[in-house]
Amino acid sequence: MTWEYVLPKIDTGEAALAATELPMDNDAFAQFYERSARSLWAYLARVSGDPALADDLMQESYVRLLCASRLDEGEIVSRRYLFRIATNLLRDHWRRPKSTSIEELPEELFSTGDGSASLDSKAMLGRAMALMRPRDRQLLWLAHAEAYSHHEIAEITGLGKASVRLLLFRARRKVAGFLRDQGAGDRTEI
Amino acid sequence: MTLKSCTHEREVTALLQSGHWPLACGPELRAHVDACSRCSDLVLVTQAFQQGRVASEGRARLNSPGVVWWRAQLRQRNTALQQIARPIQGAQIFALIVSVVVAVGFVVSQARHGLGWLSWWSGLRQTQAFHLETLWSFGSMTSDWSLAVLIAGFGALVLLSGVVLYLAFERK
Repeated sequence: MTWEYVLPKIDTGEAALAATELPMDNDAFAQFYERSARSLWAYLARVSGDPALADDLMQESYVRLLCASRLDEGEIVSRRYLFRIATNLLRDHWRRPKSTSIEELPEELFSTGDGSASLDSKAMLGRAMALMRPRDRQLLWLAHAEAYSHHEIAEITGLGKASVRLLLFRARRKVAGFLRDQGAGDRTEI
Repeated sequence: MTLKSCTHEREVTALLQSGHWPLACGPELRAHVDACSRCSDLVLVTQAFQQGRVASEGRARLNSPGVVWWRAQLRQRNTALQQIARPIQGAQIFALIVSVVVAVGFVVSQARHGLGWLSWWSGLRQTQAFHLETLWSFGSMTSDWSLAVLIAGFGALVLLSGVVLYLAFERK
């Protein structure tokens, strides 16, 4: 019995290196990325309220999707899976203990306030979203911006379908109240 | 808070998602939405989020897909290399355990047979084998057989330990 017979993968490594092949070729991935990246970034940026974090999590989401070998089930399923990965990454981020290091703070906090981000923060939706809980923001965005069904949201977030329906109903009512109040406030100011 | 359902909710949702609200719907449905709190919430929130999505997508700063592709390939490759290294680490641990067992067995066996070994140790200076000129003599080796076994065993142990340590720390 030879050493190569006992540990064949050590000798050639072919089987393991064959696993380094990604499940989608570069061109197909580029097309999928172009079609899905903007909406994923919008989801991450709006739900987290941090564009720099959205940049990082978006890249990580695509890397994990490519490594997960689940791209052969069609674009709709892949896109849903992508949002699921992003949702889990957001959850992990919120669970991590907060750092007070200045390096950890998003650049936007140090900007002069003339960028599009500050303009957007003045919009009613931005203010209303800031008042909502992170999970409610996720549910609202997936339902009303991405137009996912309750069943799809349940798959993405890992919640039960009945829970999604109830939580979404409450969150929608709450955010509608904020939007109406802000609309009335803005009209009063004018 | 009760979950009241509205029969028009599905229809309003479809109109909002297709972009047909409010121009492509009848006056009855519009009147219903004005009167129904659930449907009016739905319209208000969906329109706000759709506008928010358009605004946010315009602000997205996308990296090249090639960079993301390259990172994924790199991670996949590193994962595969870790999988390859796993059996080698197992073999190293196995070799280390065998070496330790052999060493312990050797010491135990020597201790058992050798009260002679201990007496030999104390009487080492008195033996002929301790003198350098007698080490080269085959006759003296046969006369002091236990010393030859001890030296050979100790040498084998040192050699084996060196090989094991080399294998264990080679990767580091």
